[in-house]
Amino acid sequence: MIEVIGLTKKFKEVTAVDNVSFKVDKGEIVGLLGENGAGKTTTLRMISTMLKPTSGTAKICGLDLVNEPDKVRKKIGILFGGEVGLYDRLTARENIKYFADLSGLSSEEANRNIEFLAEMLDMKEYIDRRVGKFSRGMKQKVAIARSIVHNPDVMLFDEPTIGLDVSSSAIVQDFILDCKKKGRAIIFSSHSMREVERLCDRVVIIHKGRIVYDGKIEDLRREYNGEDLEKVFLRLVGDKDE
Amino acid sequence: MNSLWGIVFKKELKDLFRDRKTVIMSVLLPLVLFPLLFGLIGKGVKSTTEKVAKEVKIAYIGEESSFKNFLSSVPNIKIVETKDYQEEVKKGTIYLAVVVEEDFDEKLSQEKMSDIKIIYDSESTNSQTALDVVKDVINTYKDEVVKGRLEKRGIDVSILSPVDVKNEPVNREKAGGGALMLTMLLPLYLIIYAITGPMAAAVDLGAGEKERGTLEPLLTTQASRMQLLFGKLFAITVMGIIGTTSSLTGLYIAFKYSMDFMGDVGLKISIGSLVLIGVTAIILNMIFAAVELAVSIYARSFKEAQTYLSPVTIIGMIVAYGTYMMDVKSASTMMFNIPLANISLIIKEFIIGVYNPMHIVITFVWAIVYIIAAILFARYMFSREEVVFRT
Ligand SMILES: Nc1ncnc2c1ncn2[C@@H]1O[C@H](COP(=O)(O)OP(=O)(O)OP(=O)(O)O)[C@@H](O)[C@H]1O
Ligand SMILES: [Mg+2]
Repeated sequence: MIEVIGLTKKFKEVTAVDNVSFKVDKGEIVGLLGENGAGKTTTLRMISTMLKPTSGTAKICGLDLVNEPDKVRKKIGILFGGEVGLYDRLTARENIKYFADLSGLSSEEANRNIEFLAEMLDMKEYIDRRVGKFSRGMKQKVAIARSIVHNPDVMLFDEPTIGLDVSSSAIVQDFILDCKKKGRAIIFSSHSMREVERLCDRVVIIHKGRIVYDGKIEDLRREYNGEDLEKVFLRLVGDKDE
Repeated sequence: MNSLWGIVFKKELKDLFRDRKTVIMSVLLPLVLFPLLFGLIGKGVKSTTEKVAKEVKIAYIGEESSFKNFLSSVPNIKIVETKDYQEEVKKGTIYLAVVVEEDFDEKLSQEKMSDIKIIYDSESTNSQTALDVVKDVINTYKDEVVKGRLEKRGIDVSILSPVDVKNEPVNREKAGGGALMLTMLLPLYLIIYAITGPMAAAVDLGAGEKERGTLEPLLTTQASRMQLLFGKLFAITVMGIIGTTSSLTGLYIAFKYSMDFMGDVGLKISIGSLVLIGVTAIILNMIFAAVELAVSIYARSFKEAQTYLSPVTIIGMIVAYGTYMMDVKSASTMMFNIPLANISLIIKEFIIGVYNPMHIVITFVWAIVYIIAAILFARYMFSREEVVFRT
């Protein structure tokens, strides 16, 4: 579903992502783990066509990222952490509809999907109210609905739980697991091994733009004899500093 | 199906119009500001002037005379009995006092010169108004007296006015005296409104999008950057035009009803001129909308955008004021190649009803060049990764 091939991004003299390759299958959650500045966001921005790779590419559902960015965009949904990214003066429905329209959905299709998502995420009560006064949890649901309204095959999450309290985090994590159930290919970036352990099937650890580990969580556990994985992570990214 | 830029355009306008602050600042405030200001000042001045003119309370000091009879025969003059007229004028209970010399009537009949002294308060506008009224009355009285003396000698009164002066401007048909004022003010206002009108919208739709975190999901939709840019640009331009329209409407209402300005000076602008001025105003708004959007996309946040935009405002204002006093009649064709100055000059020409094809072509071609350059500038900003993803 996702095949990243030698993806590299240079910003002037900084190489933010250095020859990164990995694969994500249907119904698989891959954790992209790295410290601040490791290159997670840059990688995900390239996969979502916001940034052009300096070299390398990725194939999304067989479509080439560099040659067919428009078609790739139809296949992907993104939920990036930090600001939820909603228009406060629009209602929840209008927020979602705007992105549905811009993703090329027909009006009927958009409305159908929005009804379905409102039901699924339990937003019916406030879907026609302006987003400005929503709680963080409510906003998070709107952002989730927006990211998936066009039924993407691939979901990209960039530290989606950053700054969220326990219950809002749970909403996001449930959503990620639901995406997995629906057979989507998922990349989930985080700097916390704990979160990756809980959600992911596989982990790709990057450090200073390079992959330092790529494998199943169980394999990682076996390899390090049940050691605390957070410590393993620190050692893996620490090793490279010497 | 809707084109994608159309979707962006509609959404942005809806969003902007729901922002109470934007609506108040760019639509309502300009509409009511001038009428309120002019109205308050105008009304204040007008009402006291009217009150004074309706009943001019004065004191007459001196013996009974034909002049006193004349004064009291004027309907709006009221002669008040008083002892200490100096004090009363100072207090304002009477507006002024007329002091007539002794033996006034006798001197008059002997055709000698007689004195009338007027005691008034130079610091009081009421007293000034009354002074004007009373001086008029005295002049009429003087004319009456002179007329009587001439008639006694069998001489016609017209001998006193050998020349009769009538003012007639050469350009009466084309535009009234108000046109001069308008050629100075209108280009200035149009430029300033074109700068300030789109500003709030440009900040919101450029830097605001970044700050809210909506830009990233937006860039992963089917809308290309050019489509996003055009949708935003047109929405901002519309806000600018609405701002200009409401400002001018406010100004017009203010002049019309508070000072009867337009009526008095007989300002006439043809429909053709109005249309051309309208087109020029739209172009002006587009230019600044594009420049401001580009700057706003470059900025990281609302605050930064506002900071970067203040020099744009200042430069625009300087140029606008620079052309303020410029006389179109003496402007050379060369001057129509100077940015903004050319637009200011062409508006002046339109107001006085001059349509010079050469000037129009030069100015409009330049205007199109500015718009394209500004759009390219905005596109360049929007296509640069390090600008869009600056953190
Ligand atoms: N637009 C940009 N211009 C220049 N350098 C950049 C840009 N974006 C990222 N970088 C640099 O690239 C490197 C990787 O950044 P990136 O944001 O991908 O890291 P990250 O893993 O997402 O970190 P974080 O956990 O802080 O989000 C950093 O050194 C960063 O300074
Ligand atoms: Mg990041």
